[in-house]
Amino acid sequence: MELSRRDTLRMGAAGAALAALAGCGPAWRKVAGDPVPADLAPPPVNPEPEVRLANRLGFGIEPGQLDAMRAMGSEAWIEQQIEGDQEESLELTLQLHRLDVLRIDGMELRDTPENEIVRQLQQAAILRAAHSRNQLRERMADFWTNHFNIYARKGFASYRKGRDEREVVREHAMGSFPEMLRASTRSPAMIAYLDNTANFKNAPNENYARELLELHSLGVDGGYTHRDIVEVARCFTGWTIERGFLRPYGQLKFQPDWHDDGEKVVLGHRIPAGGGPKDAERVVDILIDHPSTPKFLAQKLSLYFLGQRSPELEAEVVSAYQRTNGDIKAMLRPLLMSKELLESPPILRRPFDFVISALRALQADTRAHQTLQDAMRAMGQPLYEWPMPDGYPVDFDAWSGSLLARWNFALNFAKGRFGDVRPRLHELRERFEGDDVAFCCAAFFGLDPRHPGVSREVRTLERHFAEAKTPNTLDEAAALCLCAPAFHWR
Amino acid sequence: MSQGHCTGYRAAESLGPSRRGLLLGTGLAAIGWLATPKTALADLAIRTSVKDGPTDTVVVLFLRGGADGLNAVIPYADEDYYRLRPTLAIGAPDTRRGDRALDLNGFFGLHPSLRNLMPLYESNELAIVQAVGSGDQTRSHFEAMSAMERGLAEDKGSAIGGWLARYLAATSKSDDSPLRAVALSNVMPDSLLGATGALSLPDVEDYRLHADDNRRDKWMRDLQTLYGGDDALSHSGADTLRVIKRLSELKTESFRPATGAAYPDTPVGEAMRQVALLLKAEVGLEVACVDFGGWDTHVTQGATTGWQPGLFNELANSISAFHTDLGDRMKRVTVVVMTEFGRRVHENAGLGTDHGRASFMMLLGGGVRGGQVAGVWPGLAKEKLEGTGDLRVTTDYRSVLSEVLLKRTRLASTEDVFPSFQSRPLGLLDLARSA
Repeated sequence: MELSRRDTLRMGAAGAALAALAGCGPAWRKVAGDPVPADLAPPPVNPEPEVRLANRLGFGIEPGQLDAMRAMGSEAWIEQQIEGDQEESLELTLQLHRLDVLRIDGMELRDTPENEIVRQLQQAAILRAAHSRNQLRERMADFWTNHFNIYARKGFASYRKGRDEREVVREHAMGSFPEMLRASTRSPAMIAYLDNTANFKNAPNENYARELLELHSLGVDGGYTHRDIVEVARCFTGWTIERGFLRPYGQLKFQPDWHDDGEKVVLGHRIPAGGGPKDAERVVDILIDHPSTPKFLAQKLSLYFLGQRSPELEAEVVSAYQRTNGDIKAMLRPLLMSKELLESPPILRRPFDFVISALRALQADTRAHQTLQDAMRAMGQPLYEWPMPDGYPVDFDAWSGSLLARWNFALNFAKGRFGDVRPRLHELRERFEGDDVAFCCAAFFGLDPRHPGVSREVRTLERHFAEAKTPNTLDEAAALCLCAPAFHWR
Repeated sequence: MSQGHCTGYRAAESLGPSRRGLLLGTGLAAIGWLATPKTALADLAIRTSVKDGPTDTVVVLFLRGGADGLNAVIPYADEDYYRLRPTLAIGAPDTRRGDRALDLNGFFGLHPSLRNLMPLYESNELAIVQAVGSGDQTRSHFEAMSAMERGLAEDKGSAIGGWLARYLAATSKSDDSPLRAVALSNVMPDSLLGATGALSLPDVEDYRLHADDNRRDKWMRDLQTLYGGDDALSHSGADTLRVIKRLSELKTESFRPATGAAYPDTPVGEAMRQVALLLKAEVGLEVACVDFGGWDTHVTQGATTGWQPGLFNELANSISAFHTDLGDRMKRVTVVVMTEFGRRVHENAGLGTDHGRASFMMLLGGGVRGGQVAGVWPGLAKEKLEGTGDLRVTTDYRSVLSEVLLKRTRLASTEDVFPSFQSRPLGLLDLARSA
């Protein structure tokens, strides 16, 4: 493993490109095992290892980032990202400091309209993904936010989601999965979103129990039955949120007289009668020790980072989970250090990835306010607004139905039409020594213009610069790059 | 092969030469078509026979979250319904009262909030199937939806792409419209998974490039160069460009809703209005998918008022406005209303219902033999229920969809659209005939 990984990291562009062409699985097609004609496979546009790493572990390249990564060495950079403890810039810290949802919740936000709360939640996610030095941490925050998805516009979920994001997702994003799962079962936002507030003795409501097993831990093929769902629901009866007069509205609360205190059997484990609030903890214990949980997580992480399944690497992730009691950093290492990460076919950027990569490429100065969020909505990915508990899809087909909204984002962004988003295009161009086409290729694709992965892009740019010499020429060239296929693969 | 599967449709097949026949007979036409297979799905067309004749536009309205069919199409003559739903049940028909079921056939009644569908049922344009569903036993939204959208009994086994994608591939022609298949949403539904040329089109009237007017041609040309490749994303880009072009030639503002067509001011109402607009503009639309979310009524579902009645109201008004808006054009349209599963028969303590099995489907259109509630009623007595108390599935949803495709489109065999499925026609539709 060690050897092959080093070999891969050293492997030149051509080698990696060939490996990608040889085609592992048709990962970008959701239905596993479908034969895909070779000519339909996406072109190998990210053959430079550093570019691939920046795109897969993070949200794309920033000016100067590739040089810094090369100076440091890929492995050291990956380790630094896994550690994820770099101090954030003062600018980002100050920007986040202005957002109420990051500091207070529930009752204290009661005078803030829902739209404003959702706006702030989205702002925080966009700003962090775009500017955090701990790019992998933000990727994982995105992964877990979708794994434990909560639709911010159901009930008053938005008022509770900030705290869930803080105490469940971000607290444990790079920590312990068992702790994260436990925290999620105690999150008022989750308890309310999946109707556990209506889960009563003698009349269990299965909604939360089902998704806890299917989506949060074991996976749908994890070996549970409908009986287990009902038993888990019984264990969670009585867990609700505080609604009493002059009480801390919205806090987690256990209501003993709503709890079914009889004996339960969950996945073959007997939970004796009289457990009260301990029943829920027992369920979490059973789930984190169940062999299906690491398998399911390994599968999802593999799809997320490699864009395809990888039985060998998934087995390594599972064994890391078992060895370390579910340490997320240990689980990530086999995937992030693998040669599959560098060689797997490119993954289509979802709108969130696309927007953040654009912001990063041009070091755009933004508050990530309404106009930017509206553009993401038009592309189909307003953050925290996926209504179903399974989170935003990651497959190619879900996002390739129309590219118009992406192109319009590119046009409006590069031309500075989003009021509060200022790309530093001309400033970056002045610092770059070389021609316009080379600048564009470096800034947007991290590649030399001679690279075969960007031949159409280069041809289009050359024609563009040859035809027009207006003050807008460079802005339009930037928009072309953001529209180009090469910018939508990662 | 599996010719015997569809004996009921032999007649349909004999109406015209099959795709295979066309390929053998008219070599020249076939070469052009064979030269541009775009996806693995394109191979299907070689194996599937199509027939000549008219094709309906199929509009699939998917109720996401598991819509409760028992409170939509109320079995008021089954007394177990009232026993199992003490607070959520809808009373038996009583024309003097507005909160009662509206009688359909002496056994079933329509929810009062669906009352705007009654005229369509009475004019024999709307048919209902009760106790319909898939073989999915997980009662998981995602598994059940995936099974239905991929056209399978359960979400297991192999099938390339979604059922509509396979239908489109099987009936594809060299001169297909760029607006052949649209999803009125930002994210593609799984039923169109892998469909070449299917487009997510959230807003028909604003599908244009935000370039300066005098630069538009240049942008179209540059994008054509950028997306001239032969990979999957390039195909998406090329399709997007074709549609921008086609829609720019339309004067969308000239297609206002017809008098009396009052679409609800909601995303679903808006989506149905836009489907109607595309039909009136005659852009070659063959498949439209509209998603209608919010049916996962675990808590406070509402009997005659509240959550689900509100959704029923929106559903009925959207469909009824669509029908009014299209007028005579409904002759060549079949609307299918479906959902991934129904809900538990007995209500829960939160005055809602948990995930169940069978639910209902509706068909609306000029070719529909309306005014009937089809299917076999399994009953609600304890021993008749499935698992923890769910309505049994007595009609496979694929029987309904097969009949739509075989009677109302050019498809002559569903063996590739619904693999290894024995279709059983319910007599829900008339065979489409050239006007």
